[in-house]
Amino acid sequence: MQTHFNEIMAIAKRILLELVRLRRSLIFWVVFPALMLLLFGLIYAGGNGTSKSFDSTAPGILIGAALFFSCLGGPVALIVAERERRTLRRMLISPLKSTSYFMGIVLAYLVIALGQAIIVYGIAAVFGGRFHGSVWLGILIIILSVFSFVGVGFFFGARFTKRTEDVNGPVAAFGVPLLVLGGTFFPVSILPPYLLTLAYINPIFHMNQALKSVSARGSGVEEISTHLVFLFAFTVIALILGAHSFKSMLLQEKRG
Amino acid sequence: MIEVIDLEKSFGEKHVLNRLIFTVNQGSVYGLLGSNGAGKTTTINILCNLLDGDAGNVSINGKAVSGKTKNLLGVVLQEIALYKDLTCRENLLFFGRIYNLSQVQLMAKTNELIQTFKLGEYADMPVSKLSGGWQRRVNMSVALVHSLSTLILDEPTAGLDIEARYELWDLIASLKETDVTILLTTHQLEEAEKLCTCIGILKNGSIVAEGSLDELRNLVQAKQIALVETDMETDLYQRLTSLGWKHRKYGGRLSLLLPDQFTLKEIIDKLDGIPLSSISLQEVGLEHIYLEVTSD
Repeated sequence: MQTHFNEIMAIAKRILLELVRLRRSLIFWVVFPALMLLLFGLIYAGGNGTSKSFDSTAPGILIGAALFFSCLGGPVALIVAERERRTLRRMLISPLKSTSYFMGIVLAYLVIALGQAIIVYGIAAVFGGRFHGSVWLGILIIILSVFSFVGVGFFFGARFTKRTEDVNGPVAAFGVPLLVLGGTFFPVSILPPYLLTLAYINPIFHMNQALKSVSARGSGVEEISTHLVFLFAFTVIALILGAHSFKSMLLQEKRG
Repeated sequence: MIEVIDLEKSFGEKHVLNRLIFTVNQGSVYGLLGSNGAGKTTTINILCNLLDGDAGNVSINGKAVSGKTKNLLGVVLQEIALYKDLTCRENLLFFGRIYNLSQVQLMAKTNELIQTFKLGEYADMPVSKLSGGWQRRVNMSVALVHSLSTLILDEPTAGLDIEARYELWDLIASLKETDVTILLTTHQLEEAEKLCTCIGILKNGSIVAEGSLDELRNLVQAKQIALVETDMETDLYQRLTSLGWKHRKYGGRLSLLLPDQFTLKEIIDKLDGIPLSSISLQEVGLEHIYLEVTSD
């Protein structure tokens, strides 16, 4: 148990240290959601008081513009980089367990998610927005979202990307339509009925709706139970997909 | 100590290792030589527990290779596998942590390696700022971060300039003094000659020759090698046949396997006036042994 914990901490610490050294990704992960929040918060305010618009904009921006790019795009880029610089092979030679490696990545991105949540809600608070519901319920939704994003990130990183240049393609091609359809930037109420039906099978829709309900309307577990069940199920599926793809990639990597 | 007994491995129809046998004794440096595809990388992958052999036994310090023997083994990969945005010290600390060293052990080992590999001046610089030679040093030091008795060096000097290569050879030679068991794979025969106490030549997945350099020299029926160039090769071949001297053509150069020690004048006299455009003498080296035992 202690061994696992040490390994997880070592991986998480290294990822965060590298991100701090590189800075570029961290700056993007702060500037992009901050700008999107300001933009959409002010657009939806429509010249009136801003507190309500920032109440309802902050959750969607946190899930779609912040966590999506950091916790999904980040692991994809990380796995590709580990393969390219052959450090993945060095880790395979070591006694490091693959579950520790995965959990180390999740932990690193949970820290980043926490930072992004503080920044998004900090900016929203400046404009009068606030978190109305249970903070613990909000944290649960964020944790589930991070796990599922990292799981999908492992899936894409291990299956579809071999070089750094391949990273943006799948993330943009699959991700951006899901963000639009998930109500990240626009309320889903403007969607035509057939697209709304499609939105119900979009995990980002459930992440957004769950966090928006808790954060902007103060909803409890019962009111968001459908979204939570979907989110739990998707997290499990994402983790299975991610683990399976990662395992196949490791087998290839072991052959050298 | 590394023991490989009757190891076999196939990928589909392709037999990569065929009853491979060799032993690397404690404190010795064993050079595993072979052309690309001879089975060196597969052997290393099996020793590192990345692949399973189909048959045979592989052990490190008497323990069958498994996930548990990973702690006994340090591996210097062909490629520089480091986090280049982190400093040398941070790389050492990270890899020490994934080998589960305690904080005290980690600090002591990191400082010791920085000293051994003379990294002091560069220890807190990002690896990306270092030259290729220094990056190789860090790459090797990382493989030694957990206390170990066995080291695998997979073409450790590939792509290095001469100066950096010599420096790394000195480092490997100094490791020999510390009773570490080393398995070295290399394409550079000079490297094997200089560093190895025992050499195994691998061909089609089996060892075809093994021993110290002196023992291997006995496999070549020559006391000396003469490299000659002539426009009258047919006449030369006839003369060599009458003298009973063997000859080989390696890389377009004609090598005469001399049965005794001769001076250049004696050789020219024995060749009976056949005009030579050049002639030089060499000791029987690993290059000749390698070509002799691997030729079909």
